[in-house]
Amino acid sequence: MATSICRTLKYLQPTTCQNIKCAVSLLDVRLPQPVLVPIRTKKRYFIPPAVNVKQKTQSEQEDKARAAGVVVRQQYIERAINIACTAGIFDPYVPPEGDARLSTLSKEGLKQRTEQLRQSAASQLAYRKIKDHDPEFSTKGFPALAQQIFIDAHAALTQFNKEKLHSLVTERCYPEMVRGNRYKTLRWRFIESLEPPRVVHARCPDMISKGNLYGQVTLRMHSKQTLAIYDRFGRLMLGDEDEPRDVLEYLVLERHLVNPYGRWRLHGKIVPAWAPPKDPIIKTLIIPGPKLKPGEDFEDLNYQVPKPKAVQWSK
Amino acid sequence: MAASVVTWAGLAAIGRACGHIRSRLLGSSSTLSQVSCLHTSTELNSKHWERKNLIVYPPQQKDEPCRSAEIYHCRRQIKYSKDKMWYLAKLIKGMTIDQALTQLEFNDKKGAKIIKEVLLEAQDMAVRNHNVEYKSNLYIAESFSAKGKYLKRIRYHGRGMFGIMDKVHCHYFVKLVEGVPPKVEQKTGFDQAKEYVEQLRNRTIIHSL
Repeated sequence: MATSICRTLKYLQPTTCQNIKCAVSLLDVRLPQPVLVPIRTKKRYFIPPAVNVKQKTQSEQEDKARAAGVVVRQQYIERAINIACTAGIFDPYVPPEGDARLSTLSKEGLKQRTEQLRQSAASQLAYRKIKDHDPEFSTKGFPALAQQIFIDAHAALTQFNKEKLHSLVTERCYPEMVRGNRYKTLRWRFIESLEPPRVVHARCPDMISKGNLYGQVTLRMHSKQTLAIYDRFGRLMLGDEDEPRDVLEYLVLERHLVNPYGRWRLHGKIVPAWAPPKDPIIKTLIIPGPKLKPGEDFEDLNYQVPKPKAVQWSK
Repeated sequence: MAASVVTWAGLAAIGRACGHIRSRLLGSSSTLSQVSCLHTSTELNSKHWERKNLIVYPPQQKDEPCRSAEIYHCRRQIKYSKDKMWYLAKLIKGMTIDQALTQLEFNDKKGAKIIKEVLLEAQDMAVRNHNVEYKSNLYIAESFSAKGKYLKRIRYHGRGMFGIMDKVHCHYFVKLVEGVPPKVEQKTGFDQAKEYVEQLRNRTIIHSL
């Protein structure tokens, strides 16, 4: 393969025009219209004053252009974004401690009932506002609808039907439901409802501009469900398909009230501070421990695994 | 006199018979070892290696044996020769992951550092994303190198002559499987000879008296 170098260099070099070359790369100026500036390699006898000027900053060049009379139109970077849901749960409902654990007839139960009545004042205003925008809303009929939305949403999650899931669940809730589940198999079943679901809380926050109303309604649901999560290889990661569990949940549903095509969608769940801890997953995990110095021993440190604080959070 | 006359046809027949015996030997040995009978070429595997991590198996029943996790990982366009990389890939094939990492750490080749990084990445991926319980419970089921895209440059020789120099790149692929590595039976020469003699003895002569 050893041939004369001149022949190959001729072959390898691109065809270059001797006189006129495209010199956009040589200029630093980014003019609003793409300009092909021809540069002469022939000696010029008259050199205009703008040619020898080099290494000017962007702002100086802009000033010069403006002084010369070149008008640059303002660039509008506009992109319409439709926000169909709020970013979180405003003024979240604080579930009373011992809910579904104490009977209503004891002293504790009566105290909680009085507290609930106090909280509901703001909720009544919110119901009024919601009824203004959505005449079909009622505290009696809404829970059944909401429960159906919940069941449909989770069924769509097991099948991973993206379109249906987006219509039943808000954009804030969707990533939280779906994250990490793409290559896993979920098996979920709603067996029955132990108590009729009821609306406990409502708020009507507005986002960005004053009239842009969203309605958030909290629903308390006590039901029996089964859940089993299998990993990519079909091995059980969490739960049991045949063992139903009693689940007390506080669901938050949201609707963009001002939008005539808005629908009630699942927005999140409230996990109370007194909720019992969840079951651990089947495989063992390593919790990263303290870094040991060369002479130290782990047993001597008496390291306590830090427990998370019992705080109400929403997911 | 009659015994010394060997016709060409006879020689050809003997040659064919030898080839037949050799192929039968090869056939029998390959059925004993699991992988070598399937000719899986690197070209066919390498294009979709990343996609192999995305297959989802259906959930297993309780009576089925537990399926071991398989993690596929690769690195593309490594600036190293594929032939030199092959030595390292062959070295760690079949080892546990800890053993492979220690061997690569004390190996002086350039590719050893790269393969070690790839193995650590794959181990981390396995624990985080693929539900592997113990990170040491992995072994290397497959490991091979393949040719990447070469850049071409000119190598100048004397007298105006030149050669085209290839700037070599390679890809490296590894498949980690959860569990204990399968034991490979070491066959000695004596065993192989014994098998050969047994095969010779098992031959039957048809249409004989």
